[in-house]
Formats: sequence, C-alpha cells, structure tokens
Amino acid sequence: MSSPVAAISIQGLIKDFAITLRGVKLRAVDTLNLEVAEGQVYGLLGPNGSGKSTTIKIILGLLGPTHGEVKVFGVPSGRVEARCKVGYLPEAPYFYRYLSGRELVRFYARVCGVKKPTLKARVDEVIDWVGLSGAAERRVGTYSKGMLQRIGLAQALVHDPKLIVLDEPTAGVDPVGSAEMCELIRKLKNQGKTVLITSHLLAQIEDVCDRVAILDRGRLMIEGAVGDLVGKRDRQALIVDPLPPEDLAALKVWLEERGHHLNAVEQPRARLDQVFLDHVARR
Amino acid sequence: MSVVSVSSVPFSLGRLGLIAGNTFLEAVRQKLFGFLLFLSVGLVASAQFFREFNFGSSELKFIADFGFGALVFFGSALTIATTAQLFFSEIENRTALTLLAKPIWRAEFIFGKLLGVFAVIGIFCALTVGLLIALLWQRESQLMRFDPEAFAGGRIIQYGDLLIVGTLQWIKFGVLAAIVLLVASFSNTNLFTVVMGFFVLVICHLQYLASDAWRHVDSVIGALAVRLLGVVFPNFQLFNLADSIGQGAGIDGALALRVAAYGFFYIGVIGGLAVYSFRHREI
Repeated sequence: MSSPVAAISIQGLIKDFAITLRGVKLRAVDTLNLEVAEGQVYGLLGPNGSGKSTTIKIILGLLGPTHGEVKVFGVPSGRVEARCKVGYLPEAPYFYRYLSGRELVRFYARVCGVKKPTLKARVDEVIDWVGLSGAAERRVGTYSKGMLQRIGLAQALVHDPKLIVLDEPTAGVDPVGSAEMCELIRKLKNQGKTVLITSHLLAQIEDVCDRVAILDRGRLMIEGAVGDLVGKRDRQALIVDPLPPEDLAALKVWLEERGHHLNAVEQPRARLDQVFLDHVARR
Repeated sequence: MSVVSVSSVPFSLGRLGLIAGNTFLEAVRQKLFGFLLFLSVGLVASAQFFREFNFGSSELKFIADFGFGALVFFGSALTIATTAQLFFSEIENRTALTLLAKPIWRAEFIFGKLLGVFAVIGIFCALTVGLLIALLWQRESQLMRFDPEAFAGGRIIQYGDLLIVGTLQWIKFGVLAAIVLLVASFSNTNLFTVVMGFFVLVICHLQYLASDAWRHVDSVIGALAVRLLGVVFPNFQLFNLADSIGQGAGIDGALALRVAAYGFFYIGVIGGLAVYSFRHREI
C-alpha cells in the first residue's frame, strides 16, 4: 500500500558552496522543488555540474542545505533516523579492499542494525539476489567494475530499505553489466521500492524510470512522467511487413482520402546495445 | 517486511565498535604499521649491543631508557601517520560516503576511528614493552649470576613499573591520536594533518616550559595567555615516569592514576571537539 508521505520531498532547496576565502559562492542547487512518490523509479538527469550529486548528498544528510527543506519519508534528511529507510550506491563505489564481498555486506548490515538472528540469511539473500554468490568469498579488491556495482547494490539493500538511491549505477560498466543493473532496478520496482537514480545514459533511464527531472546549473528545467515527456501524442507509428512500392502508394492514397497524412516511411532499427546483448553471453 | 526497526537511532557503542574493528583491521594490514613495529622492535632489541655506551648510568637503566626512547619515537610517528592515513583513506577513497550514508552518528565514526587507532597503538606498545621486559629480565638474570652481591636485595628493575610506563605512553599516544583527528576533521589534506600533528607533538612536549613560565611573566595578560597555552595543550612530560626505572625507586601508583585520568580527560575533550568539527564537514 502506498504511503501518503512522499518518499522524498524537496522544498525550495538552495545549496551554495564558498569557493574563495572572500566568501564568493557557487550556487550548486537553485530553489529546487521535487516530490518523489513511494514506489516510483525516479530519474534525476542533467549534465556534469547540474547539481544532481549535490542534491543526492543533501537527501542522504552528507551535506546540509543552505536554504530549504528536504525530507525522506517525512523525516528531515539531516537526521540520522532519515537514513534508516535509505540504501545508497555511490558513483564508482570504492569499498574496503581487504574485506571479502560477504564480509563487506555483513559489515554494512551490522552498521545498519540488522539483528543477529537474521543477519546471515539476509546477507546470503542479497548477495544471491545481485548474483555474486560465486564470488562472495573473494576480496573486494579483486572485483571488476560491474561486480563492484553489484556488491555496492547488495550493501545498499541489506537492511531492506524502502528508498534506494543510485548515483550513476552504470557509469564505466560494460553494456552487459548495465543491462543487468537495469534488470535489478526493475526487480526493485516490482518489489515496491522507491528508486532515485542519476545517469548520463539517457536511454537506460528512459527504459526503467517512471518519472524524470532534468536539472541544469542547479535549476529544475523540466519534470514529468517519461511517457509524457518523450511520447508524441499527435503521431502514431504502424509497424508492418515490407510493402512493395505500389501498395505503399495505394496506402498513401487511402490515408489521404480519409484526411490523414503519411509523414514518414522508415526502416525500424534495433538499438545497438540490444544487438550487443544478443551477441554477448551474459554472465 | 523491513529487517530493521526504525523509530529513533540512539548513539550505539556496537556501531562504534564495528567502525573501530574495521579501522584496526585496515591499520594492521598497512605496511607502515609493520615497518614501524619492525624498526621499534629492532631498536629495542639492539639496546643490549650498546650497553657499553651507557653514559655513566647503570646498564639496565640504559637499556630501559633506550627501549622507551624507541617506543616514544616510533610510537609518536605511528600514531600521527596512522591516524591521519586512516581518516583520509575514508575520505579520499569515498568509503566515508557509503558509511556516513548509513544510519550512524558522526560521533560514532570519529570515536570509532579513535578507538581503532588506540587499539593499534596498544598492540604496538604491548609488543615493544613486552620485548623490553624480556630483554631486561634476561640481562638482569645474567648480571645476577655474574655478580650476586650487587643483587643481594633481589632484582633492581621493578617490572610492574615498566608496564605502568608503557600504559601511560599508550594513553599519551591516545591523546596525540585525538589531536590528529581534531586537525583531520577540518583539514583538507593528509600532509597538512601530519605536519600539524608533529608540530603539536613538539608543543605538547615543551608545554611544561609554558607552565613554568607563567609564574614569572609580569604582564597579567601575558601570564594568562601562557597559562591558557598550558591548559589548551596537554603536557606530555607528565607521562614520562620512566626516570625512576632502574634506580631502585618505584613509581607512585597514585601519581600514575592521576596522569592516566589527565590523559583520558584530554582524549574525551579533544575527541568531543573533533566530533563537533566533523559534524559540519561536508563529505
């Protein structure tokens, strides 16, 4: 059942950083208002320096806002309690290299207060869920980038949070790893989790997100459901078998007789990442 | 169902212990720890080869002084370098980002780091003092066989005093670690922290000069300033009770307890200041 309280509520958020000793400030986030409902996969998009990571850090209580209010499930983000229901996978995560994958997840589980009777089962469960059971005893220092992302996701999920924040989860990961990460995000959505995700790979965002917000220089430029933003409501595409030229001409005449116009005839194209995935064995 | 119950998140000694344990594990796996331990143990062990250069003091006293000299020198270097390194490795490798995004208090992070470093230095002190005791015992036993009359009253060295001096040095290193953490909590670089750490170490060792001087300063403001200096910087000379070792005189237990309390008071106050400074640090 969906909670009446938003998973994330951002009201009038401003974040300034002092960049010189004289007090000159850089405004990283400028009067941002956002609301992420529970159960959504929400994409935060924008070029480098647009304020995405700063916003995420404020949500996680790692930075304080200059002005405005940020709440996580109704709790101000600066409070420790706000982080109980949040799991976080940082961009290009780096973990304690000397621990094994299992030790790492166990460490974070204990930090998050997972009780001892359920600890082992929960650690095994999330490691299995991200597909790292076979490498759980290996030291994290020997993991590939894709494996680091997956163990990072495991530590983010180990205390069963309601909100998962993923900062560039597919950055530097090969298409196979990216596709696997997207699948995991879809599974999280199916479990009713709220996911806040930032990425430069817009095609992936488009595939997994319900809503997106686009930031530029700290300001919200546009926000809405993905379907509303990318769909062309005054157009329709019909995918048919290849038509000979005379049939195509007849179709055009038939459409014009009914007041319609044939705007374009194109060859549908598969996406290159899908071609790649079709030809590369998944791990 | 969530595996973590959430209402309020009290300060937890369990989480503090987890961070301390992880800090300890990271420290003992660093080459620096092994290197300094090797040098210190090597220097203490070599004391018996320099016993002809005892500068007029008794041979056993010389070995004890030489051993504690090695403990103080390498222990100080280890404390400053390890504390700064362990703090900045969390910041620079961004493991702090993942850790502090969990429901933990920053006080748990700072005191966890401090406790972890304190444990590492404890191992260092225990090994060095343990070796020193073994060396002194072995040499004293040889001398007792060689010249029984000189030892008619029994052993000269009071080995319990060696443990007391070693423990007080350990506490002094704890104060130094707290100071280094305080500097690190607002510093941006490891190098600055290390340089400041050595700078403060020298001040704390020479602080007794200020304590002596304030009685002889004519100006009231000057006297207050010097006195304030004597309060702000702990007096590390107080921890040096090794002079009575090998002289037949024992260490006053009450004095040792007062010095230990003095050390723990400074650890608490300086650690608290480090927490206050780190609370507002933007990660």
